[in-house]
Amino acid sequence: MSWAVGRRALLACSVPAFGGATRASAQAWPSQPIRLIVPFAPGGTTDIVARLVAAGLQERLGVSVVVENRAGAGATVGSEMAARAAPDGTTLVMSNIASHGISPSVYRGRIRYDAVTDFTHIALVITNPTVWVANRDSGIRTLADAAARARSASGLDVATSGAGSSNHLMVVRMGQLVGKELNHIPFRGAGPAMQAVIAGQVPMMSDSLPSASSHIRQGSVVPVAMASAERHPSFPDVPTFREQGFDLASDSWFGLSGPAGIPAPIVERLHRETMAFISTPAVRARFAELGGTPGTMTPAAYTEFIRSEVATWAPLVQASGATAD
Amino acid sequence: MDLLANLGHGFGVALTLNNLLFCLIGCVIGTAIGVLPGIGPVATISLLLPITFGQPATTAIIMLAGIYYGAQYGGSTTAILLNLPGEVSSVVTTLEGYKMARRGRAGAALSIAALGSFFAGSVATILVAASGPLLTQVALSFGPADYFSLMFLGLIISAVLAQGSVVKSIGMVVFGVSLGMVGTDVQTGQQRFTFGIPELSDGVGFVSIAMGMFGIAEIILNLERPEARSVMSGKVGSLMMTREEFRRSIPAVLRGTTVGSLLGILPGGGAALASFGSYMMERKVSKGRHEFGTGAIEGVAGPEAANNAASQTSFIPLLTLGIPANAVMALMVGALIIQGIQPGPRMVEAQPDLFWGLIASMWVGNLMLLVINLPMIGVWVKLLAVPYRHMYPSIMIFCAIGVYSLQNNVFDVYQTVVFGIFGYLCSKLRLEAAPMLIGFVLGPMMEEHLRRAMLLSRGDPMVFLERPISATMLAIAFIALVAMLLPNVRKGKDSALAEGG
Repeated sequence: MSWAVGRRALLACSVPAFGGATRASAQAWPSQPIRLIVPFAPGGTTDIVARLVAAGLQERLGVSVVVENRAGAGATVGSEMAARAAPDGTTLVMSNIASHGISPSVYRGRIRYDAVTDFTHIALVITNPTVWVANRDSGIRTLADAAARARSASGLDVATSGAGSSNHLMVVRMGQLVGKELNHIPFRGAGPAMQAVIAGQVPMMSDSLPSASSHIRQGSVVPVAMASAERHPSFPDVPTFREQGFDLASDSWFGLSGPAGIPAPIVERLHRETMAFISTPAVRARFAELGGTPGTMTPAAYTEFIRSEVATWAPLVQASGATAD
Repeated sequence: MDLLANLGHGFGVALTLNNLLFCLIGCVIGTAIGVLPGIGPVATISLLLPITFGQPATTAIIMLAGIYYGAQYGGSTTAILLNLPGEVSSVVTTLEGYKMARRGRAGAALSIAALGSFFAGSVATILVAASGPLLTQVALSFGPADYFSLMFLGLIISAVLAQGSVVKSIGMVVFGVSLGMVGTDVQTGQQRFTFGIPELSDGVGFVSIAMGMFGIAEIILNLERPEARSVMSGKVGSLMMTREEFRRSIPAVLRGTTVGSLLGILPGGGAALASFGSYMMERKVSKGRHEFGTGAIEGVAGPEAANNAASQTSFIPLLTLGIPANAVMALMVGALIIQGIQPGPRMVEAQPDLFWGLIASMWVGNLMLLVINLPMIGVWVKLLAVPYRHMYPSIMIFCAIGVYSLQNNVFDVYQTVVFGIFGYLCSKLRLEAAPMLIGFVLGPMMEEHLRRAMLLSRGDPMVFLERPISATMLAIAFIALVAMLLPNVRKGKDSALAEGG
């Protein structure tokens, strides 16, 4: 990194030296910039939320929080990188339903971390429903249109943020309800996928609401169905899957984690600052605008939640036949 | 006249003292990180983002943009002086720029890099202002099949127009593509060519390859020739361009600007292709094409212009769609969102200060880069007078620090050493490094687009021929390959090159 890091590191080293501490300890943290890995390409929900959280933590912790995009293989590439980093609180990752819920089953045998034991889980940041959007000129306005397209000879292409995402599973399950497999087109993240949908290369997309919301508001894409039990308060005009006769609902979640073994005081501080940040009125308003709900779990509860997610998804992934190939 | 009024408004915003100051800070920092090997703009922008928090959104974005194109420019300096490309785009600059430096024309190479960049930046700025939304449509008309064919064309042309044997350069391209395959497959999660080394699961590092193949290999070559242990073979030479050099550069800059502006708007990969495309074009059509390989000024002027034009026009998808094309752009979106602004099609109307201020500041930033860099050229060139026995250990140390600091991992340093030795062997065997690097950069993108195109076509390869853009690219690639291979069999390629164009 740059001279700025060097100087800060130097300062950080010299200050505890006076106190007699020889190694960077929990008391000294945070003294160095923090790297927050986003395991998707820029422009998706993980990225949008990570940049909000990074800005908040930066202000509250007084050190730079640098977002780094490491996309690929259902968010497992970036997550593996975080799992292997030193557990000193300087490397964090946006854990999410793909990397820490579904991908462990979809990429079974190829993934080289355990979603629970190789991480210190810190905070659940946001949960949000999935929304299906269509290109403006695709002629698809309802799920019935989409189903008709899927059953036609040409079939229906649906873009997602990647194999192993909750969107991937939605595409597989929707295909089962329609009675014809949908053509799943994975990208490195919702950003590039959305671009392909706006451009009309792919007519339809399954996306987490926060990354789609601004494009829906700007009219660049048409919202077709919300995969939630009730209509979403921020998008009351968008009917649900159930209303349109398809019994599907899907929430995705995004949180803050780090490599296994981060000292408890650091975890506690990160958790406290994250919670304080996401419950400020400004951030709550921003989350509402994006279409998400701030998380409230303790680190222990979040760890348990991830354990249950991995266990829940394993049979579902197997039953759906979803694979990354 | 709307455009003029809008631009006038933009300049009103960009030329406030505060914005000028932050633009200057951005350009200076950008140039500095461009010059220092291995330090990317992303880390720097992230670290500097906080100092813009108290500032209005426009100011923050102006500074970030300054860093972004400052870094693009600064990378050329080390490429020309030390054969050390820090960014993908400056790989091309090393090819003729470093040769020029060795002939004592470093001053001229640096001058034309600055002037060409400035000109291209100015043209691209006007282009962004005048037809941003229109150009977005062009960018959106490129589907996965078209991207694949465009990149395929890039690879073919890079092999065909390289020096020496076509077969050797095709071999190097293929090797580069294979190197790009190393790591975790983005789609299936499969480990490829990693030989169980965990560090390779994230792929081979571009900076390691570039520094090894160019910088380190060059040092080894120099040490081998005791009599020529100087970066420069001749005397320093005049800092200014000769009238002849200036005259030759003009058409190259014009062509480079065109190529760069067009390729820059393609999100993902466009900018990487721009400087390379321009180099290949100059090699084929410029008046000085016979000098290529020995330090032709067109080979610096064109690519530098292209690279700068592309870095301006690559803002178009961000400004009009709100989707960031790369990590630097994502940081800017992040900065905007923190300030409560959502980039996208409505930004032009909703935030005219920001939109037009940014566009005007692009031009102001380019002017500043020129003002900062032209006087520096004399200083940079003096660096070459440093005796080589002092010079090469310093270069090695800077490279090692730069590469290590990428991920704080010694493995990256070892990688650089391996590529340094490999690069040395390649020069001995007359295998060109540039086609390999282009293969490395374009290969993974090509693969991703190929897969996506095949998924969308239900496995039907005809999609590459049915789409007009794709078919055109493939046709050009095919003609280029045949045209070069046929005479190559009979009389060798260099004479074919002399006849062609």
